[in-house]
This record gives sequence, C-alpha cells and structure tokens, in this order.
Amino acid sequence: MANQSEPHISLSQAKALVAHLEAQQIDEANKIVESIDFSATTDRIMFGQVGELTRELHDALLNFQNDTRLVDMAGEELPDAQNRLNYVIDMTDKAANTTMDAVDYCLPIADKLMQDLEAITPNWEGLMTRDLALGDFKTLCHSIDDLFTHSKGSAQELRDKLTEILMAQEFQDLTGQIITRVIELVKEIESKLIIILKVCSKQEAKASTSKKQRKNIEAEGPIIDAESRSDVVHGQDDVDDLLSSLGF
Amino acid sequence: MKVLIVDDFSTMRRIIKNLLRDLGFTNTFEADDGNTALPMLKEGGFEFVVTDWNMPIMQGIDLLKEIRKDPNLKHLPVLMVTAEAKREQIIEAAQAGVNGYIVKPFTAGTLKEKLDKVFERLG
Repeated sequence: MANQSEPHISLSQAKALVAHLEAQQIDEANKIVESIDFSATTDRIMFGQVGELTRELHDALLNFQNDTRLVDMAGEELPDAQNRLNYVIDMTDKAANTTMDAVDYCLPIADKLMQDLEAITPNWEGLMTRDLALGDFKTLCHSIDDLFTHSKGSAQELRDKLTEILMAQEFQDLTGQIITRVIELVKEIESKLIIILKVCSKQEAKASTSKKQRKNIEAEGPIIDAESRSDVVHGQDDVDDLLSSLGF
Repeated sequence: MKVLIVDDFSTMRRIIKNLLRDLGFTNTFEADDGNTALPMLKEGGFEFVVTDWNMPIMQGIDLLKEIRKDPNLKHLPVLMVTAEAKREQIIEAAQAGVNGYIVKPFTAGTLKEKLDKVFERLG
C-alpha cells in the first residue's frame, strides 16, 4: 500500500520554482507548477485499493470453487435437511394422532365407569343409610360384582393406552436429534454467507438490513420471542384486552 | 349446528373437532385452507366457522373477508384460532369482522368461553 507520504515536487523543482518567482519569471514558475502531478499519489492509493479488493475477490471466488463443503451443502445436505424436517413433521403428526387415538379410546371407558358408578349410587346410598329393600340389596350386590369385573378390564385397558401415550412421546428425542443436525447445517451456511457478505460491498450489507422490516399484517406463525417484542400479544388475556379496547 | 373447521394441520383440526364434540357440536366438517372452505360454505348449511390464519393458498384472514363480502355468508359467525399474535393482525381481524380471536396454544376452557361469548352476542 502507498501509505508512505511522498512530496508532490522534488527539492530541485522547488528551488527552481523559488528562483523563477524571485526573478519575476511568472511563466517559467507556472510551467513548473503545471508539470507537478498531484494526482499521482491518490491514483496510486486508489489503484492499490482496487488491486487489493480484486485480489481478495479472486481469492474468495477461488476458495468457493475449491470449497467442496459448499457443493456438498447445496447438492446434498440442504435437500437432506428438507427431508429430515419433513420427517419431523411426519413424526410429530404420527405422535399426535397416536395420542389422540388413545384418548378417543379411553374417553368412552371413563364415561362407562362414571355411568356404572352413577347407576349403583342410589342403592349404595340406601345401603349406607340402612334403607334398602332386600330385592334392591340383591340387585346392588350383582351390580357391584359386575362393576368389579368390568372395572378390572377397564383399568387394564386404560393402563395400556396410557403406556401407548407415553411411548408416543419418543418423537421428542428423535426429532430433537434431527433438528439439532439441521441447526448445525444452518450455522455453517450462515458462516459461509458472512464470508460472501464481507467480500461484497458494505453498502449491500446495509441495504439488506432495511429489508428486515416485515409487513405487520403478514402471517408469521408461532411467535418464539414474544417476551422481547412489543408488537405481539402475550397470551389470550392480552388478546381479550386488545379486542375489548376496540369495543369487542 | 353445522360447523366448519378450517386448519391446514389435521391434528389441530382433530383437536378442535374433539373439543367441539365435548361442547355438544357434533356436526362438524373440515377444510384444510380457505380455498377449500369457501366453496363448502357457499353450498350452504353452515352456521359457524372456526378458522386458522396461516394456511397455504387462501389464508384465514382472506377467508374471513370473502365471507363478509358474500351476501349469503356475511352474517356467519367466524372464530379465529391461530398462532398469529401480532397486535396489528388482531386489529385487522377485528376490522374484517371476526367474532372471536383465540391465540394458540389454547385451552378447552378458552374455546368454551369464546364460543359462549360469540353465541351470547348473536342472541
């Protein structure tokens, strides 16, 4: 780099200039001044900078060409990440449906237990208050006997279904591992993009930040940073407050 | 009462369907976005719509606007159940004529409360 300062004119030129001026030789003096190339130093600095940038760009492009990681990422790992994320959607969908199937299976069992208990309650209360006819007592005995038998089977069914629900939660571990790997890939891509951004002009980097402003009305999906944002509601109470302030 | 549940995720449709069933709404139908929902609604017979916001092709907010534009559907009560939580969006939905707005994740209690409120207002 041409950082070292150099005089625009030589000592002999300066001496000649002074001599011409002292001798009132204006034309001669002006010729010396005009012959001095002031732009030489600035040009050298500029050419030096352009050269350096070109070299950096050339090196960066060469590095990208030689960087097989980029080829791997674009050609294999990104499509693979998409497949993995689709697999996460499938797994969570399956887990949710397995859980809901089990719940759908259990609800009628719980309902039946409640119905059976309600059915024997009047006779049971009669027995407890010693106000039960012999016939009703016999009915109660049979009902309780049926309830015992039925409850055992129901409890076993509920237990099995609860285990199914428990096992359906294993998706958390598996999807967690998949998502962690995708996060690592995204991090690597981020670091490569930063290098590209550094090579490109700072102006472009500045321009991209202004595009960050999103349209407020655009769908964004679940808000993961609600605590640090003022443009989003924090739960249903906030929604209700906002709507009531609008006259709802 | 014939109810249409609009959400692109089948699990969420199923959750809402089950919750509605527990609240006595057993005649429920499903659509996976506004574009599928609108023709179903136009065929008639629906008395209530529960819709998500963020869906492919036609979003919930656009479905709501289409419903309010249609002379046969404009009085149809619409409850929005969505993860969209920006204040501007809630204001937009209110201005578009939504009857209730629930943010996900939500509880069975919230759904019941909002349904009661919607039908109480409708008389």
